[in-house]
Amino acid sequence: MKTLAQHTKDVPASRAFRPAVVFLPWVACVAVAFAVQLVAPALFDDYWVNVLRRVGVFVIAAVSLNIVNGITGQFSMGHAGFMAIGSYIGASTTYTGSLLLHGSVGDDSFAVQGTMLMLGGLVAGACAAAGAGYLVGLPSLRLRGDYLAIVTLGFGEIIRVLLELTSKQVDTADGARANPFAAFFSFNGPTGFFGTPAYASNFWIWLFVAITCVVAYRLKRSSSGRAFLSIREDEIAARAMGIDLTKYKVRAFVLAAAFGGVAGALFSHTGVNPSPTDAGFQRSFDIIIMVVLGGLGSISGSVLAAILLVLLPEMLRGLQEYRLVLYAVLLIVMMLVRPQGLFGVKEVWDLWGAKRKARGGTP
Amino acid sequence: MSTAPATLLEASDIGITFGGLKAVQGLSLRVPTGALHGLIGPNGAGKTTAFNLLTGVYQTQTGSVTLAGTTLSGKRPHEIALAGLSRTFQNIRLFGELSVLDNVMLGSHLRGTHRLIRTVFRTPAFVRQEEAMRERALELLGIFGLQGLAAEQAKSLPYGDQRRLEICRALATEPKVLLLDEPAAGMNPSEKKSLASTIRSIRERFGVAILLIEHDMGLVMDICEHITVLDHGQVISAGTPRFVQDDPKVIEAYLGVVEEEGTGNGERGTGKASLGKASAG
Repeated sequence: MKTLAQHTKDVPASRAFRPAVVFLPWVACVAVAFAVQLVAPALFDDYWVNVLRRVGVFVIAAVSLNIVNGITGQFSMGHAGFMAIGSYIGASTTYTGSLLLHGSVGDDSFAVQGTMLMLGGLVAGACAAAGAGYLVGLPSLRLRGDYLAIVTLGFGEIIRVLLELTSKQVDTADGARANPFAAFFSFNGPTGFFGTPAYASNFWIWLFVAITCVVAYRLKRSSSGRAFLSIREDEIAARAMGIDLTKYKVRAFVLAAAFGGVAGALFSHTGVNPSPTDAGFQRSFDIIIMVVLGGLGSISGSVLAAILLVLLPEMLRGLQEYRLVLYAVLLIVMMLVRPQGLFGVKEVWDLWGAKRKARGGTP
Repeated sequence: MSTAPATLLEASDIGITFGGLKAVQGLSLRVPTGALHGLIGPNGAGKTTAFNLLTGVYQTQTGSVTLAGTTLSGKRPHEIALAGLSRTFQNIRLFGELSVLDNVMLGSHLRGTHRLIRTVFRTPAFVRQEEAMRERALELLGIFGLQGLAAEQAKSLPYGDQRRLEICRALATEPKVLLLDEPAAGMNPSEKKSLASTIRSIRERFGVAILLIEHDMGLVMDICEHITVLDHGQVISAGTPRFVQDDPKVIEAYLGVVEEEGTGNGERGTGKASLGKASAG
């Protein structure tokens, strides 16, 4: 029998490169972004267009958390911590950047440059969150189940407390120029970081939603994704098959944190002021519930669950106070009726395919 | 040193103690290229612990293990798998939620390269490797007659198929030595018979040496060329099936001491006592 290396060499070039499969998803990403940006205002009023931005942010958060909680099976409860890091770094990049370059924040004449700053902030936020993900990922190698959950929960709380300890926000160009580094990290303590312009339109948010989904899905359907899943299924067998647990667990944490950071950075550009409580366990639970509801390991499940769980409280505004009761009831019903979540590890279209197969149609 | 150059896997004097229990002690064995080597012993003799020592699940406290000249002891399990030692498990450990095909594809994971950038952008190098993994996995499944089940969830397979799938997955790692931990457990006589021929054909087809733990004496005596017998963590006998079968120490370990007039598990204590005398003399 040929070795894998030989086999790989013998795959014909015609099968190695199919432009449609490689590029179409990226085209679809841009198409989705434009579609939401252009169609939404025609269908909904401003309030709901704004809700749509929030929906997008939580879709990114849920899909990214699914990489570590669902696909790799490492129960992380600190995702809001990563989001908050992205949130503050992203917001401060735009805010302090605007002060330094333009002298004021949110000026219409600076909108294009401001949007560029926001994109830079997304990258910075993702990198910072990824770094934190690496730090949290390392102890996760020695911890399992509940213990890992507690450590990650603690991480979120540490981030919250650290944010509360930051000094007062610098709000003048002169102040920022005097000490740009200090100004950048002056997150305004417990009151939260004010005044970040809402540059994250539905276009940008849904562009990153689509990119996150494509990346997560491609990851799941790849050799790396199988390695993640094998860790979830059986660590001992995974090791025996030559999978480096250290490497893959850390990878999962770093990836999830990076996209969580992007979600946070986008969120702080939607007119919402990031505050230290965003890093707390309440927000983490919200995202975990989305992942569990959608199905641990199902990307499309996370997307649908995130949409549902952001829209539901909006629709039941009168019941806002009872949101958590509703969540709890929903989860209990879920555990009883479909313990694997809406879609289990499968995707929405897999169920569609199975139905067709069951009916005797061509797959 | 008059060791044959063909020695592939060599364990010398390996041992591990759990608390006060000497689970494996001073175990030495040599598996030459292409050998079919049996490891037998009564329940609790330390056979699976020996496998865990060889594959790095437990770290050896004494002695060393080498595979084709490279030292394995002290390495982590995934590095040992990469060096060419692959195994199956006594209590089947498949990736239950994943498909049969994915299970086998995971077996060849360690022979590939996995860059995130390539994965995300679906570069030709990535697609090539995925295709190769799939083809190899299907070929392997075909050899074991599991091709038709490729899309099924591994946990949904019948027991015998799960055992074969585990061997299939282990072979996908391109091993030099294959460790099989009780592959016949729970099989009926006709399944055992076909398993014997499967194991022989694996050796010929893949050119691997096989180290086999098995309780079914008929199977072991039938297919192994060399057998090591463990009891209470120690090697009590080693040699050809014929030799081991007639070795009084082996009979004692399995059946107890003949003079006691009792056989069976109740006499294990006395069996051990006279074993100690025998090895001292």
